[in-house]
Amino acid sequence: MSGYALRRVVLMVPTLLGLSFLAFGLANLAPGDPAYQYLTRVLNQPAPAAEVERVREELGLDRPLVTQYVDWLGDALRGDLGVSYATRRPVATEIGHRIPYTLQLAIPAALLALMIAVPAGVVSALYRGRLPDHVMRVASLAGASLPSFWLALLLILFFAVHLSLVPVAGRGGIDSYFLPTVTLALGPAAVLARFTRSTMLEALGDDYVRTARAKGLPARLVVARHALRNALIPVATDFGTRLAHLVAGAVIVETIFVWPGLGKLTLDAVTERDFPMIQGMVLFAGVTVAVINLLVDLSYTLIDARVRVGTKAVAA
Amino acid sequence: MRPAARRLIAALVLALVATACGGGSDDPNDDVENSSARLNLDAELRIGFTEDQYILEGPDANLGAYPANTNVVETLVYLNDRYEVVPRLAESWEFRAPNTWRFHLRRGVRFHDGQAVNAQTIKTGLFDRVAAKRNGGTIRATPQSAVVVDDYTIDYTASVPNLRVVEQLVHPQNGAIAPGSDHGTKPVGTGPFRFVDYRPKERITVERNEDYWGEKALLRRLTFRFFPDRNARLLALQAGDIDLAYEIPRDDVAGLESRGFTIAKSTVGAYRAIFMNSYGDEPYDILRDVNVRKAIAMGIDRKKHVDGVLSGLATTDQTFVPPAALGAAASVVKGHTYNLNEARRLLDNAGWRAGSDGIRVKDGRRLKLELVSGFPSAEVIRPSPTFLQAELKNLGIELEIVERPDSASFQDLMGRKQGDLFIEDGNQNDANVGFLPVLLLYTGAGSSGTGVYQGISAPGPRFNQLIEPALTEPDHARLQQIVATAMNEAITEQTTVMPLNGVFRIYGMKSSVTGFVPHPSFLNVSWLGVGVTGG
Repeated sequence: MSGYALRRVVLMVPTLLGLSFLAFGLANLAPGDPAYQYLTRVLNQPAPAAEVERVREELGLDRPLVTQYVDWLGDALRGDLGVSYATRRPVATEIGHRIPYTLQLAIPAALLALMIAVPAGVVSALYRGRLPDHVMRVASLAGASLPSFWLALLLILFFAVHLSLVPVAGRGGIDSYFLPTVTLALGPAAVLARFTRSTMLEALGDDYVRTARAKGLPARLVVARHALRNALIPVATDFGTRLAHLVAGAVIVETIFVWPGLGKLTLDAVTERDFPMIQGMVLFAGVTVAVINLLVDLSYTLIDARVRVGTKAVAA
Repeated sequence: MRPAARRLIAALVLALVATACGGGSDDPNDDVENSSARLNLDAELRIGFTEDQYILEGPDANLGAYPANTNVVETLVYLNDRYEVVPRLAESWEFRAPNTWRFHLRRGVRFHDGQAVNAQTIKTGLFDRVAAKRNGGTIRATPQSAVVVDDYTIDYTASVPNLRVVEQLVHPQNGAIAPGSDHGTKPVGTGPFRFVDYRPKERITVERNEDYWGEKALLRRLTFRFFPDRNARLLALQAGDIDLAYEIPRDDVAGLESRGFTIAKSTVGAYRAIFMNSYGDEPYDILRDVNVRKAIAMGIDRKKHVDGVLSGLATTDQTFVPPAALGAAASVVKGHTYNLNEARRLLDNAGWRAGSDGIRVKDGRRLKLELVSGFPSAEVIRPSPTFLQAELKNLGIELEIVERPDSASFQDLMGRKQGDLFIEDGNQNDANVGFLPVLLLYTGAGSSGTGVYQGISAPGPRFNQLIEPALTEPDHARLQQIVATAMNEAITEQTTVMPLNGVFRIYGMKSSVTGFVPHPSFLNVSWLGVGVTGG
């Protein structure tokens, strides 16, 4: 097990290297001069041309791109992600400050998505072709199709404006978590529910389920112990990917709900052409996805005994 | 029902009961007292602002001052809502040739930490602080610029000839901070409100300064909440989460009014204008011909644009400096009157003749232009480009709309001259009427302009000649005349810039909010006289 984990960690290195190069290249290809943006913000007026050149030198933007990348990579390997052009604070510090805010939404949203999706998917599979199945399929299609900005505004209008149950936006009491969490959760919940349904249907048609039924096991146990457990393996993979996306930051939801998380930080960085921050965020998102995927893979051993047995067999 | 709503209803009921039980009185002072009694002096006003763009580090730190001005920090002089410069921490000032301004400071003023405001603390907390900024800030200060004359008199000399210092000092970035305080974490100023708390990207809270040198603020507390999304800001107002909101979208004004909210419209403080690429290379070289530029300016019905696109919440002014700032000289800027026939004649004379599909052609080339939109964002500018597309089609011009996601990519295209027309919203936040024309269009000696705007829309040597005295003219009325004449050259004669409309600042608020003065420059909103009635 530890060897497997170590291999996965080692494999992450070239992945992250490629990702960092891609992020660097894309940021530099994007139109807009970070020096001009920075100066315009600081001076509170369109920046004078001569000053822009001076700032380009100060920020090191006048150096060849390869030199810039190699320097950045060297610093990043030492844990220094550079200084934000916009805030003049270390990128790692800025990201560190925002992580708790994003987690405050991402974790409850992921759990909520799971709590909705798995029961809905299972019920839908068990009642295939009947009313609950139709309802779930329509609801999940709607949930997966609705753009989050539209859904957010719709939820605000209903729960905050008409019913006055929760605040429109901003962090505050426990009620302030309701709308952003629900908005974030509904999309993944819809997709996961459909996914759970299909894996569940597949599992229910498998021989071992038929055998369990033939042995006279109660239907509840057949579903819970045999079908669901196997159906959850691909669901866990998909859930991991979605969780990683949530942790990496939800740009639109954080903007609308005034949540100072990583998504808003990324959006601001792109708008400001804050290259160090963009690169730092892409690297962070890459590490997050890789780590969560690794954890998901490791979690298979808990869900599926065959993985444990297989690992032992290989070890033997 | 939420607690805030319950408290509001309870207060209204109490107010009604109190009114019903109260007896009549012949004492004229009672009216004032009753009026004051209706104001809740313990109230907190929750304000929905746009984006949190405070800078928290280095010499440019501006927490609480810019762009959301919480009135913690004060300037020597203040820009009122008629674009006039009025005394604040300085009671008076005078120009001393060749390049010095002498300020006589108000006595008896203290910073929130108890330090006295005098020439020395103003030197340290204002001029020396600004001198540490890049280029010495807009006022071009150096560490030697400020000289203490006596306890309450200070001289300021900019590093370059700059007689616009007083007009520039109104900007909240040029506020006085208590020496030794940190403008990035806890601003200590002299204003009617003192800093309480700041949560980045979320809110900033200030409370009444009970020791304020002037009349005290009517509100106990102000909380500025940041809503980058304008729909969320609007919904927060409707839900009662905030009491007042900045930048109400024009389309939502009527809806808010019908729900009982108060809409406050400022005078013109911003503009929507088109910068024409007058120096482009093929395929962006069509507007090198001044006749084509003039034809476009004459072929757009600004009134229709105001009524149809901007919901009537704009003017047809053809300057990009607010008319109030130009004063009587505003009429010098003639602009172009809507005249389709004359516009067509100009295009005919320029050799552009109607083709088979109605689009004009010259030497086999179609009269096709690109309109770039994206400043401050394409979303804000919409649907003006579509309107212009229809208008120009009437002239036989095909217009392609190019939307850029943000101002950086917009200005990148402008810098590379890749586009024919660049539409943007801009604004005037200080009293220096020459600021925008010089910054954006001047290319003469000592130009410190952006190069980006000049690259496509510099009106040329005559404009430079006309605007140059603006840098060194001490008399404000004369300055207005100079700037207006130069702008007329750019807009009417050379038509390298085409202002479409003057734009109002629109604020929305609950009907319980009183005394709010809608400032055309939202950086300079004063919260001193704002109150809330009821509980």
